[in-house]
Amino acid sequence: MASPFPKSSSVPGEGRIVATLVPDGTSGLETVSYQYPLKLISPSRPSETKSVLVFLLSYGGGLVGGDSVDLSIEVKESAKLSIVTQGHTKIFKSATPDIVTRQTLRVRVAAGAALCLLPDPVQPFGGSVYEQTQVFKLETGASLCLLDWVTQGRTARGEDWSFVRWAGRNEVWTTTDNAAAGGDRLLVRDAVILDGAQTNPQLKTLRESMHTMGVMGTLLLRGPLMKSLGEFFLAEFTALPRLGARDFRNDEAKRTADERLLAPLEKWRLARLQMEKQSKILWSAANVRGCVVVKFGAPAVEAGRLWIGSMLAHEGSISRDFGDHALMCVR
Amino acid sequence: MVSFLTPVVDEAAPDADAESIEQEIADLERRLAKAKAKRQPAAHLNSSHDAHAYTSAEPSQLPATNRTANHFLLLLSDSALPLGSFAFSSGLESYLAHAKVSDSSTAPSLSAFLPLSISSYAATTLPFVLAAHRDPSRLSALDDALDATIICTVGRRASVAQGRALLSIWDRSFASALPPSAEATLRPFLALLKQPPSPSPLQSTPPLVSAHLGPLFGALARLAGLSLEQTAYVFLLGHVKALVSAAVRAGMFGPYQAQKTLAGAAVQELIAAMVAREWDTPVERVGQSVPVMDLWVGRHELLYSRIFNS
Repeated sequence: MASPFPKSSSVPGEGRIVATLVPDGTSGLETVSYQYPLKLISPSRPSETKSVLVFLLSYGGGLVGGDSVDLSIEVKESAKLSIVTQGHTKIFKSATPDIVTRQTLRVRVAAGAALCLLPDPVQPFGGSVYEQTQVFKLETGASLCLLDWVTQGRTARGEDWSFVRWAGRNEVWTTTDNAAAGGDRLLVRDAVILDGAQTNPQLKTLRESMHTMGVMGTLLLRGPLMKSLGEFFLAEFTALPRLGARDFRNDEAKRTADERLLAPLEKWRLARLQMEKQSKILWSAANVRGCVVVKFGAPAVEAGRLWIGSMLAHEGSISRDFGDHALMCVR
Repeated sequence: MVSFLTPVVDEAAPDADAESIEQEIADLERRLAKAKAKRQPAAHLNSSHDAHAYTSAEPSQLPATNRTANHFLLLLSDSALPLGSFAFSSGLESYLAHAKVSDSSTAPSLSAFLPLSISSYAATTLPFVLAAHRDPSRLSALDDALDATIICTVGRRASVAQGRALLSIWDRSFASALPPSAEATLRPFLALLKQPPSPSPLQSTPPLVSAHLGPLFGALARLAGLSLEQTAYVFLLGHVKALVSAAVRAGMFGPYQAQKTLAGAAVQELIAAMVAREWDTPVERVGQSVPVMDLWVGRHELLYSRIFNS
């Protein structure tokens, strides 16, 4: 008798997801396997069918010092996969700095397929040592939306970038089975190394060098399904008010100008800019070798979540192409 | 430096009569002897080569390769090298503008920004310089990898503008003075850069090479005979000089304070520490050590008024 549970692989922390297009035209899972401390769950009766949803979890809600998670994901032709988490990925303290907690993600997205990875941020606790490597190989016409963000730790316990080390690396490659076409090519390598243990007296502490930011994030977009979202971020970045510009209008003139605003996009933008100013959100967007890379930072984690959630929700293509469930971690 | 000092001596000489010159020489010789005597206890601090250079009456005959290396060390570290570095502030201008609008209690200062900037630049770029010096034949691959790593429009523009300028300097000025190995490495790179991007009907692919400053500097320095350590040091010092010069033009302080910063032990120690930190970093493992730097540099485009390109 076939087991009703997804079968486990034998190496601790190892897991595999294969998403494919099922005969009724929706996306389904061909393979889901995992081993402690990694846990993968897919709702058996999904509320939405625009993409297949998988929760990326860990037993106890976090990774204990020395844990190693190694997940490989394959999204087959024309399938759509969304991956979310349930709450921050907690990284617990390592007993000694040489015990490294690791998460490795290897992804291959086939032609016409898409992966939307919008998890909660990683929350490294004081004394943790963490390395995260995420490698995405995209075939021609594949799409990727990746959010990678890290917080200052447990603020309630006074943690403020108090970990030993946090290193994150995201790579986006184009790939092809046809070796004559040149093989794999690196498009973007986005890497951050936060060293809380550096001892050079001239360099500030990690906390100081973060300049009051409590969360730092990167959004990486690539492929035909992300085209409009990428263009949206670039356009909104260009539309940001100039730093150091002065508004010489009097209050009366400002009010009449505001009333004359008609376009809903401009109204939304004004409200968002107000929020960015109040929450001290800094962000930038750039087109790097065919990928749109958005970097953002906010003093408060929830303000950062609100901001990225508002951007993704307002543009609307993630919800349209992957379903609202893809956005559950950024609401 | 030399060009400033020489004319002063030449001007003084014709006015002085023979006797006073003799006196001056005797005086200088006495002072030299006195200084040498003082130096004896500390002699062990100097390498034997340095000691020889100070004491020998004749200029030491350096081997031709060393002489070329020294010569190009000075050329590559000269602020007159037309790289256009003066046009870039590597985020300093944006940092100042952001500090102005935020109600931070601490005033922005170069002494706060400089160590962050050196650390960030060393972490993201220096491994590429070192790798290109160790193996100049990897220049194209390193250039492509660095292009994938710089995730910010403004930083990319600054790096490519200076890299292309350096490549032009080699092509138009240095090529004939350097050994043929330089030609063999850099000429194909130049050809690759001028090659139009291969038309791909399905997906836009990035150009094969972009000519970023870091790898080109490493390769050129190697081909000109500079040692790995010299190359790394001069590369970071160039960054510091550009920043300090930008600080002067941004009105943060005056030229004397600028020279004081440049001459200070703090900058020397920090450069040496950063070279040591990145000495063995593989280019696949580079990463931004100061994430907020990416935001400052990336948001430079949002400044209402700008005097720099980055």
